[in-house]
Amino acid sequence: MKRSLYNTFITGFFFFIGCDDVINPELPKAEAVLVVDAWINNLPGPQVIKLTRSQPYFDSSQPPAVSGAVVNVSTADKNFPFVETDNGQYVWNPEPGETFGVIGETYTLIISVDGEEYTSTSQMKRVPAIDSVTFRFEEENFILPDSYWGEFWSRDSEGEGDTYWIKSYKNEMLLNKPEEINIAYDAGFSKGGGLDNLIFIPPIRDTINPFEQDENDEFLSPFEDGDSLYVEVHSINEAAFNFLFNVQIQTNRPGGFGELFAQPLANVPTNIENTNATSTQPAQGIFNVAAVSFNGKRLDVSEVPKGN
Amino acid sequence: MNRFLLLFFISLLLSGQAWSQQQVTISGYIKDASNGEDLIGATVYIQELNKGTITNVYGFYSITLAPGAYNVEFRYVGFQAKTISLDLSANQRLDMELAGASQQLEEILVVAQTEETNVSGIQMSSEKLDIKTIQKMPTLLGEVDVLKSIQQLPGVSTVGEGASGFNVRGGNVGQNLVLLDEAPVFNSSHMLGFFSVFNPDAVKDINLIKGGIPSRYGGRISSILDIRMKEGNSKEFDATGGIGTIFSRLAIEAPIVKDKASFIIAARRSYIDVLTKLTTDVLDDGAALNFYDLTLKTNYNINDKNRVFVSGYLGRDNFKFDAQQGFNWGNRTLTTRWNHIFNDRLFSNITGFFSDYEYILAFGEDELDQFDWNSRILTYDLKPEFTYFINPQNELSFGGEFLLYRFEPANAVGVSNGESRDISIDRKYAAESSIYLENIQSVGSKVSVQYGARLSYFQYMGPGTYHEYDQQPPGTRRNVINEVKVGSGEVIQSYKNLEPRLSVKYQFNEATSLKASYNRMSQYVHLISNTTASNPLDIWTPSTNNIKPQTGQQIALGLFKNFGEDNNIEASAEVYYKKTKNQIDYIDGADILINQYLEGDLLSGDGRAYGLELSAKKKFGRVNGWVSYTLAKTELQMDGINNGDWYPTRYDQRHNLKITSFYETNGRWSFSSTFTFVSGTPTTFPASRIVVQDKVIPYNPGGARNNLRIPAYHRLDFSATLEGKKMRKGKPRKNDSFWVFSLYNVYGRKNPFSIYFRQEDERRAAGEAFTTEGRQVSIIGSFIPSVSYNFKF
Repeated sequence: MKRSLYNTFITGFFFFIGCDDVINPELPKAEAVLVVDAWINNLPGPQVIKLTRSQPYFDSSQPPAVSGAVVNVSTADKNFPFVETDNGQYVWNPEPGETFGVIGETYTLIISVDGEEYTSTSQMKRVPAIDSVTFRFEEENFILPDSYWGEFWSRDSEGEGDTYWIKSYKNEMLLNKPEEINIAYDAGFSKGGGLDNLIFIPPIRDTINPFEQDENDEFLSPFEDGDSLYVEVHSINEAAFNFLFNVQIQTNRPGGFGELFAQPLANVPTNIENTNATSTQPAQGIFNVAAVSFNGKRLDVSEVPKGN
Repeated sequence: MNRFLLLFFISLLLSGQAWSQQQVTISGYIKDASNGEDLIGATVYIQELNKGTITNVYGFYSITLAPGAYNVEFRYVGFQAKTISLDLSANQRLDMELAGASQQLEEILVVAQTEETNVSGIQMSSEKLDIKTIQKMPTLLGEVDVLKSIQQLPGVSTVGEGASGFNVRGGNVGQNLVLLDEAPVFNSSHMLGFFSVFNPDAVKDINLIKGGIPSRYGGRISSILDIRMKEGNSKEFDATGGIGTIFSRLAIEAPIVKDKASFIIAARRSYIDVLTKLTTDVLDDGAALNFYDLTLKTNYNINDKNRVFVSGYLGRDNFKFDAQQGFNWGNRTLTTRWNHIFNDRLFSNITGFFSDYEYILAFGEDELDQFDWNSRILTYDLKPEFTYFINPQNELSFGGEFLLYRFEPANAVGVSNGESRDISIDRKYAAESSIYLENIQSVGSKVSVQYGARLSYFQYMGPGTYHEYDQQPPGTRRNVINEVKVGSGEVIQSYKNLEPRLSVKYQFNEATSLKASYNRMSQYVHLISNTTASNPLDIWTPSTNNIKPQTGQQIALGLFKNFGEDNNIEASAEVYYKKTKNQIDYIDGADILINQYLEGDLLSGDGRAYGLELSAKKKFGRVNGWVSYTLAKTELQMDGINNGDWYPTRYDQRHNLKITSFYETNGRWSFSSTFTFVSGTPTTFPASRIVVQDKVIPYNPGGARNNLRIPAYHRLDFSATLEGKKMRKGKPRKNDSFWVFSLYNVYGRKNPFSIYFRQEDERRAAGEAFTTEGRQVSIIGSFIPSVSYNFKF
């Protein structure tokens, strides 16, 4: 949040002298590659793996689905077949009361498609419980009006190297903008940061809030009376963490003066490998098996203390 | 090395024997008669011998001759020359003051080292600007800017408008040694890069050395920007100042003891916050947005042989969101220098300085949730330097430097819900020592040679922790496999480098010469920055067991020619080729802030740069100025980027054309303009997009870096200066004042800074299709008028 405050500060200045316009440059051409969107977890319900292909950057249609693949997730002694139900959607359906996976177990994904075989592994890592979800009131400042902010309270497990993806839903709508990617390495931002076994630090607690502007470009309070907030903490593997860390850099581009301090455009990492090391058909995407904890709350402004 | 030194001394001794025992020396300081300022690079010319010398950076000269009668001429551009007839029979001290030239001569704006030293001097690849020239150039928002002005010179580029720092002959911004009165300045920008930290009222002149770098300089591989501050008027009280769009400034200089001691104190502060406070309440809760700098200098002539200088600099930028939160950064330097003249021919200067660059970040509205971080680099330095004016054929310089560094990458505490963690990173200590020896020798009347070497030695030492890393596929994060704690003073890793330097000049005639140079440079401290422009939070790190010193070798060849009436036009053509090693780049997604395993995110590779620089300056006349053109190429090669193939750097500019012109009218108006054309800088365009978890991610098979270019950049700036009336009621006015009106980006071109790609900023439900777009950013997309008022009394 503080980062976005700062951005707003800078954006204000940029507004006077800069400009940021849509252009349509000609882009290089490239062969399509397989894209594996395999984020499965232990929440109740069917688990879905999506296979698509890359498309030209300015092609804004749905990515082309990849049909006819054989998709299987397994451990040493169990198979979880993913069956194509819709174009490019491969689904595993649980038995009644069953959920996917066991914490600590390692899973192997194998995808066979068009004569190529791709594989990846992921361990389902531990996840801490969310003790509570709360709201706080903040008085108006020079950017935001009087506003209600959600927070979630959860403590990173002891021992370094836990990585998480925190997803939040406002009124059942997933907050999925690039700037809303909320990942944690232990209780902080990144490896080597030394913030093990704390309550998730404030910027991570705050990033579960949506920041939206009205038609006059005035910021709105993240939550209003009666809005619901639902938060999930997904345990992710280090490859998935690195993937999301890089996705943030590549997709969260506020533009303006922010471009002075942008990083070069680069490919994000993947943990999907072609089993044939000499193949010329790489794949992109991530396989991750998450354990998930969750909690939620509906905002009742009469319960939220105002000021000191 | 030993053999090298031996040869060196033998050659010196031989050259010494060749000259007769009967020699006398004249020596002294040359100063500006109006304010006592030392004149750097003034000429002392012996008419009978057709020979001369120039004053050093402290205004000192020494020339040794056979006894006899001579006419000695003292010259400095923009000043009236003085000729003294001497009958020399013994050593003589001759301090000289030169008076400013008549009105007409004051139009000389571009100060070449002296009238012909661009041709006759041995130094090539160097550019000098004096502050009067800089003050006349049009600027962004009317703020005179020392660093922006050098961007008008050949061989200098930047990543774009608003970016801090500058790039010289393909080097990155961290490879320039920026010296303010001998002390290095680690971050030379205010406001993220829009303005430089040097107060123009306190600066005397600047000298940028791009190649043929003398042995006395070391520590960076790309260039030396030597900024000299004024000493302060030793004749009379003098106040200058002004009110600009961003800063208001005031400088006061005065003698403490006339002709013996003086001082200057110069301050600048941005004042937008003061205006904001008057009109709104947004800053009432402790929020702040300001920057300031304070420059102080004093000098004292103890006697004929001893002179001391003390100078200090303090600059700060403050951005605060409220009373507790925000960040600020700044430099502090304190320099003490002692000039001592051992005898007529041996001049010494000993510099000691302390430099501190620091930034502080604080977040958190209460003590339960807080984040405090500060980072610093402290440098202590002792630098003795000697110049021995052996005879007119040989000028020997020697000396050394001992630098101690303390890097504090992060002193940081994170508090989450009342529990705190010290997340500081161990300090890093290092020592850099060097010695150098160099001789400038004339061989006959046409050839002179400058040869020497610098031997540098670097120790990375405890107390602290060092890490060892595993090997990973190129371009991916390496993991720590061993962590070792070491005690105080224990050396973890040491490096040494021999840095030979050689320059040769062949003079065809008075107006034409050919120069060539070779130098090897090494750099032991590194700027860590993986963003387009470097920013104040970028850290510096020493060479360690994992980071090798950067080295660079450069050869350059140049033709220098003066022509026109009175050799009014100075022209030069230079080519250079540069090879660098152990250049630093970063893995994708490198985490460079508060990361104790940073070294695992760094890549190392080679660099190369070559180019052609053309320049022509017209020094006199109503219309004067210069044109510079650079044709250049700059590339890097690292395993892990661009498939291991060479790729252009972000500041690689094929064509770079700059035209700076000045026009003086008879009346109170004068005009200046600058025109810039720079071909588009490289950037990376994606070919494809991939969609994972509703994120539309750019993708380039093969991982190309800087595969395309943004459109070319061109801009015209204009400024007009209106001098105050010189006379009032028939009498000369006591006070001087002038108005500067400037127009930046006259035709309002939306010059591209960068092109980026993103998914549209709309909220969509999971699984819906997202639109992707390309966008072009112009940092300054319109014309910007400004006005400033300046005074002097």
